[in-house]
Amino acid sequence: MPVYVDISRCIGCRSCEVACKRVHGGSGHVNVHFAGDNASVPVFCHHCEEASCTMACFTQALHKVGERTAFDVEKCTGCGLCRLACPFGVVWTDKIAHKCDLCEGRETPACVLTCPANALSLDFELASRRARARAALVAAHGGRR
Amino acid sequence: MGIEYMPEHPASEGSLCSKGNAALEILYHPDRLRTPLKRHGDGWARITWEEALDLTARGLGGPLKKYGPNSIGFFASSKCTNEENYLIEKLARVLGSKNVDGCARLCHAPSVVGLNRTLGAAGMTNPIKDLANSKCIFVIGSNLAENHPILSRWIHRAKDSGAVVIVADPRMTHTAWMADVFLQLKPGTDVALLNGLIHVIIKEGLIDREYVAKWTRGYEELAESVRDYTPEKVAEITGILAGDIVRAARSYAISPASVILYSMGITQHTTGTDNVQAIANLALICGHLGREGTGVMPLRGQNNVQGACDMGALADFYPGYRKADDPETIEYFRAAWGVDSVPLGRGLTATEMIDKAGTGEIKAIYIVGEDPANSDPCSQNVRAALDNLEFLVVQDIFMTATAQLADVVLPAAAWAEKEGTYTSTERRVQWSAKAIEPPGSARCDLDIICEIAKRLGAQFNYPDAASVLAEINRVVPQYGGITRPRLDDFGLIWPCPNLNHPGTPILHTQGFKFSEGRATIVPVSYKPAAEDSSWDYPFILTTGRVAVHHNAGSMTRRSPSLLEREPNLFVEINPFDALRLKVADGDEVTVTTPRGETVAYARITERLKKGVAFMPFHFPGTNILTSEVRDPEAMIPEFKVSACKITRRD
Amino acid sequence: MIKVDEKKCLGCFSCSNVCPSQNITRTETPELRSVHWKRCKEECDLCVEFCPAKALTLVPYDESCPEPTLSFDLVACKICGSRYATEPMLKRIESSLPANLQKDSTGLDWIWVCPVCRRNIEAERATKQMVLGRSRKSP
Repeated sequence: MPVYVDISRCIGCRSCEVACKRVHGGSGHVNVHFAGDNASVPVFCHHCEEASCTMACFTQALHKVGERTAFDVEKCTGCGLCRLACPFGVVWTDKIAHKCDLCEGRETPACVLTCPANALSLDFELASRRARARAALVAAHGGRR
Repeated sequence: MGIEYMPEHPASEGSLCSKGNAALEILYHPDRLRTPLKRHGDGWARITWEEALDLTARGLGGPLKKYGPNSIGFFASSKCTNEENYLIEKLARVLGSKNVDGCARLCHAPSVVGLNRTLGAAGMTNPIKDLANSKCIFVIGSNLAENHPILSRWIHRAKDSGAVVIVADPRMTHTAWMADVFLQLKPGTDVALLNGLIHVIIKEGLIDREYVAKWTRGYEELAESVRDYTPEKVAEITGILAGDIVRAARSYAISPASVILYSMGITQHTTGTDNVQAIANLALICGHLGREGTGVMPLRGQNNVQGACDMGALADFYPGYRKADDPETIEYFRAAWGVDSVPLGRGLTATEMIDKAGTGEIKAIYIVGEDPANSDPCSQNVRAALDNLEFLVVQDIFMTATAQLADVVLPAAAWAEKEGTYTSTERRVQWSAKAIEPPGSARCDLDIICEIAKRLGAQFNYPDAASVLAEINRVVPQYGGITRPRLDDFGLIWPCPNLNHPGTPILHTQGFKFSEGRATIVPVSYKPAAEDSSWDYPFILTTGRVAVHHNAGSMTRRSPSLLEREPNLFVEINPFDALRLKVADGDEVTVTTPRGETVAYARITERLKKGVAFMPFHFPGTNILTSEVRDPEAMIPEFKVSACKITRRD
Repeated sequence: MIKVDEKKCLGCFSCSNVCPSQNITRTETPELRSVHWKRCKEECDLCVEFCPAKALTLVPYDESCPEPTLSFDLVACKICGSRYATEPMLKRIESSLPANLQKDSTGLDWIWVCPVCRRNIEAERATKQMVLGRSRKSP
């Protein structure tokens, strides 16, 4: 259960990047990518069900806890295999690995709270609910605004 | 010491932009000024507060005695508290000087002039969260997605309820991503566009007849004045398709509640005041004021520029927007402040003070929390002018480019290191408590101003910010009921004239404060910007901001997190133009205007039309290029239009 | 002291990270990684335990034995060419993951693409519809 992005709302302000970095002592786990001049989206850990980073981690520092892909820093040797095993490139290794931990220890992830456009959420249905509501309104007005 | 989000806040709901998240990097930066400094050869000598304050008193008091009070000037800070701004303007005026002004001069001076004239009040008419109630949101001359990011959540909520968003900007900004109709106009043609919209609305019978009849005066002259602004003619001037102009006009007029959001793209022009008045006209003829989801919203930039203006830190107004050239104002404050006299008449604005510093008519200036050497246009002239002063004292938190030119530098406390009230762009006055100690021997601005005042003979005995607020409650009617005990939650929105008043989120619900409650429609006609492209300078350069930096960058360029995300000065160039110039993305280029030249990295992008270039002013160099030509009434420089040429640096 | 099985070593630096006595040194340039195991008298076996490939064993101290050094060329990303990993490490990933996870929805062998490009591809996939919708709007 990762942080979900309502891409229609991302304004490319990069607050999520700076907040994540601040809350994790200088190593952030979010990167906002710009698709030319037309859109932006933060790329985060997907907390995959079949998490390849956990399959590559030979000490089980990376392991699943329910829906979350968790990280036990004590077990990490800094081998860097997880970084190469992530299909989305969202595991980083310096001396040890770091990745999104859904802000363990906080009630709500910092990026979700800080996003000025309210584009981030733990609710995977939110973006599609909003889109469906908008579509319903357009349909109700006969396809015009 | 950390930062926590406040999900209960009515405007932000806890969200915080990238600059807010980097606040601690700035507060704790090693470059923070810690001791008073005096110029010593090419460098600085550390001095005690006693010596610094004495030098300042002599530096200001000397010319005061020798040449008169109007030979000195005061720059108030739009980042300081209301209490501090109030004291700065009071200090200037009790010393007899008319010359107090602030950076609103560079940003929303046309709003202060234009909206006071048309609507009778200058500030956002509706609160931020009210945007969610709007059915048509018209953003013109504002890149709010990057510069007022928190507004985005409310606009998206409005969109989710079916609102139409219209964005007018020469660039396809992140704000334009939200638009249903995007009007990509040529820089400086806003009056043509606005008059064009008004023309369509009048011609198609879409005005709110009842509202116009009851709450406005001047409609007939307006209708006559926009006769020639047909969509075709406006299309020619602005470069927008005639069909889009009609669509936008209809959407704005037909919607049950429409709001106009605007910022520097409207104000920073030689026609800034006209632009603002045209916006007010549009809102008035459609009756989109005084109700939920409507409004005219000047988006104020600095954390307390609204408050600084409310406190009268302006050359043309005393506190509470009493006019400086009205003898009744003078009598009122003479009595309220218990002094023999205060000066009558409009003083020199910030931009004029710089001019007069250059000619020698102004001998000394006291600058608090402003960086004109980087944020005023035509930087070489500004630096030469400040150099020419007999005495310059700068009070700030970092050694800015302006502080480098000073004779005395006073280290001040930042926002988290002092207490006081700030007034946000939605007229919300909030109390900010002290959280940490200032570094070294930096002191809060309130104390410093009082100490200087005492040495100059003014009896400023204010033990704390609350005592100044109590005086503000007495002399500023809009703040009458905004007392310290009532500010414990999320503040109060002015006007709040007495203790029982709950504050006024929406203005103009019962008409306007002119005779018969009627707003004034002021017809304006399109005048082109002062500069246009030419053979020698084939591009129009427009300037602006990006999300991760703030203004002249003295704070944000010192934050590692922010600087790494936007490390260098860049110039946006259209790909077609880049091809002709043989410039590739990332190449170093020289940008030249009639004022001078600057080097920047080229950023090739389709977000601008051919012939238009853009540079952010967060890095020194952009304002070497910009023009000093001003709006004749508001005295704001035309930052948004300069003719330039671009050449590849080999 | 340490004996290295050249065919198994991945060039991952794990042993160098865990060695408490700095006996295992490493260098990294944009093109190359190398690891150097000094003769050591310590009898801890952290490096052996924490080698993902089980490439290290401890043997009796022998002054005459040369100190091994292994070097690995860094593999170039299939898309951008930047060098991001050693070949044995990438092969190891291939063998750790089931076959169905090794190609993305477009059939790309993402293991042979660097993390930066992987993020870009993900971002492009996510924003594709939005970009189409918005670029239709610009005149």
